[in-house]
Amino acid sequence: MLSDEGVRDIRRQRFLSLLVDWFIYLFTLAVIHAILKYKIKNFKEFRREAQAALKKHRGPLIWAANHLTMVDSFLIFWASVPWTSAFKDSQIPWSTPEIENYYYMGSWLKKYSIRSLMYLCRCIPIARNKSGKEGRDGRQDVSDKCAWILKEGGSVFVFPEASRARNGWFDRHNPKDFLGRLALEAPKAKFFCVYLRGEGQFYSTPTPARGESFRAYFKMLPAVVEGETTPRQISNRLFNVLGDLQDHWFEAALMLKNCSGNDLIDLKAPHALEHFEEDNEENTEWILRHLTDKEAAYWKAQPLDKRFSVFWKFFAAKEAASKALERSGISIPLGAFHSFETDLFTSKVIHRPTGAKLNIAFTDEDQDKIHCIAVFRGGAVGGDDIPGDILWSIDELPPQENPGEYVRDRALYFIAEASDDIPSPASLAVSIQNGLPVVYRSGRLLDISLSLSHSGRYVAYSFMIS
Amino acid sequence: MAFKRKETVIEATDLNTITPEDAESRIIAGVKKYATNEPNWSKADANTPYLGHIIGMGIESANLADITMSIERQFLTKMTRRVPIEGTNDFRLEEGELGKLRILDGQDATAATPGLSIKMLMDFRHMPKSESYLSKVVGFAYISSMGEGYRLNESLKKLMSRIERLTDNEKAEAVQNLKTMVAQAKNYVNDISDSKRFAESKQKAYLLDKAAHDNLTGELALLQDKIKGLSSSNDHERVSALNAEQAELKTRIKMSSDKLRVSSEIASAADRRSPIEEAKVLEITSLISSTVAQAEKIS
Repeated sequence: MLSDEGVRDIRRQRFLSLLVDWFIYLFTLAVIHAILKYKIKNFKEFRREAQAALKKHRGPLIWAANHLTMVDSFLIFWASVPWTSAFKDSQIPWSTPEIENYYYMGSWLKKYSIRSLMYLCRCIPIARNKSGKEGRDGRQDVSDKCAWILKEGGSVFVFPEASRARNGWFDRHNPKDFLGRLALEAPKAKFFCVYLRGEGQFYSTPTPARGESFRAYFKMLPAVVEGETTPRQISNRLFNVLGDLQDHWFEAALMLKNCSGNDLIDLKAPHALEHFEEDNEENTEWILRHLTDKEAAYWKAQPLDKRFSVFWKFFAAKEAASKALERSGISIPLGAFHSFETDLFTSKVIHRPTGAKLNIAFTDEDQDKIHCIAVFRGGAVGGDDIPGDILWSIDELPPQENPGEYVRDRALYFIAEASDDIPSPASLAVSIQNGLPVVYRSGRLLDISLSLSHSGRYVAYSFMIS
Repeated sequence: MAFKRKETVIEATDLNTITPEDAESRIIAGVKKYATNEPNWSKADANTPYLGHIIGMGIESANLADITMSIERQFLTKMTRRVPIEGTNDFRLEEGELGKLRILDGQDATAATPGLSIKMLMDFRHMPKSESYLSKVVGFAYISSMGEGYRLNESLKKLMSRIERLTDNEKAEAVQNLKTMVAQAKNYVNDISDSKRFAESKQKAYLLDKAAHDNLTGELALLQDKIKGLSSSNDHERVSALNAEQAELKTRIKMSSDKLRVSSEIASAADRRSPIEEAKVLEITSLISSTVAQAEKIS
């Protein structure tokens, strides 16, 4: 429940923001057009339809969008609302930016200029990472303010993921409950779901590149539908809608949607054992050439009998991640092992030169082999309670077989077997594009992110079916 | 100076006392144990890729560090004096006493063949530059693109041989695939034959890396702004966390700079095609064109 003082604060902020709305809108427009030279490919169609939907709904509104850059909310507002509507109180959303990202920037003058601008842009800062009672109370206060705004018929802008997606992918399998809670506070509200992305936006960056060309899609849906009683039910529905909008965006995208990779290590192969047979300076140096400082510290902290498999886990994760990233258009130089940092605890790999993050999983792990799958975008790597979008298989390599040819043939059988509408592997063909294997069917490229790996006695292959 | 490697004692040689050709032979001999394609290894020259099975020596990517360490074991250099790079934990090597060769992280990013390994040693001043030797070395941009050409050619041949055994619908679908692959192969031939077009494609990769680098620099500026803004507050814990983040970001920017250096070199070398690169391009385009001609008879 918002206090009287809180209500007065919101009313004062709303009044002041209405006074300068036109100026801020024109300023944003000038920056977007003249300096950043952004354009939205489907601008007219998007704005016309968005305006029709926004005008049709007169009640409270929750804007919910994917999050890749720090200026997403400005871009979405510009795409959806013409300057003629920029004065309409109900169409101007309130935002909840992270306090650490915006409110302590630079010198005194800069800091207070930004704070003033954010205040006038109807921002309510939130400290998402602050622990303790103060942190909890602060977040509750923000939540109360948002609920009050919605009850008063206003609109609130939220990023359902709560932070920028470092892997450039809206993960529909990872819903956050705060949106559902907000919807339950204002059941008459509607969600205005928007997916906006630049054609060259491979992963999260502070701002889109200058001259970027965007496409945007939206869907309006009720905050609560019959039968929904818990925040999770609502968030699940919302995340699925945004996931569908993302799929729709990728249908016309220049970049491939599915970016995954795999890597296999035969733990009994001579090359795997070679540097672990003797504990000497040269072997340690060889091992450390593959590990970042953080990984090396983790590796050294392991009991001696675990170090062998832990090293190869790091190695397989880096190789699988590099295949997934190369699929997305990011080039990886030879032997760039230090460019990848793996966190085995959180099952994430970060590509340090770009900041891109990947999800990984180890499968079929035993005394003989390690197999790692990595997903950058296109789907979920899967886990204990989340189904994954990546399928894989590992085979023993028959003697005398050429590993390269064998793994390609097996992969085609596997893809055909996994799909009801592919009658046989003969309908498929493997080729090579930008150094990576691709699959054709009836002369069309299938966006399934085929990845192949061979090590010693085994071959492994994986693909994504999201 | 001798280094022990298991039972083998390797006599390391001063890189300034041998010819690039001698160094090349030693590098090829040094990677023998990792080569899984013995026939290709035995006839390897400056332009034989270490990785890959079709024209390469068949070395696995798990052995990339072994290649570098094998080169380090075999040679001595005067570039041994470590000079710290300001603001980072890294160092560069300057001329000092004769000692063990050290190839620093990222320096071997384009050393995909013995010839390119020699070029790397020359670029980082471990041995004198020999223009006559370098004129025989195919650049990284062409090595990687030609590798793709050979793999594309193999895929075409494999599909053609499979089509012969198919009938009805399966054959019709496979022929459609073949048509697409033929178009892809023709595009490949057109792209690599025209040095300007080829250079443009490498320029695109460079611009992507440049954008990534600019983004990181932007992130650093934001972070430094945050540190500045927070430094007057009493939140010491947060300031020290941001300082640690800043150090990591600087390391990432250095990595990004190294990556940018590589893609910039590739982009600028792509449109300066040497006679040896011209000859190699002709080799692969003739091969693909002949396979395409056969494929067109089927499709």
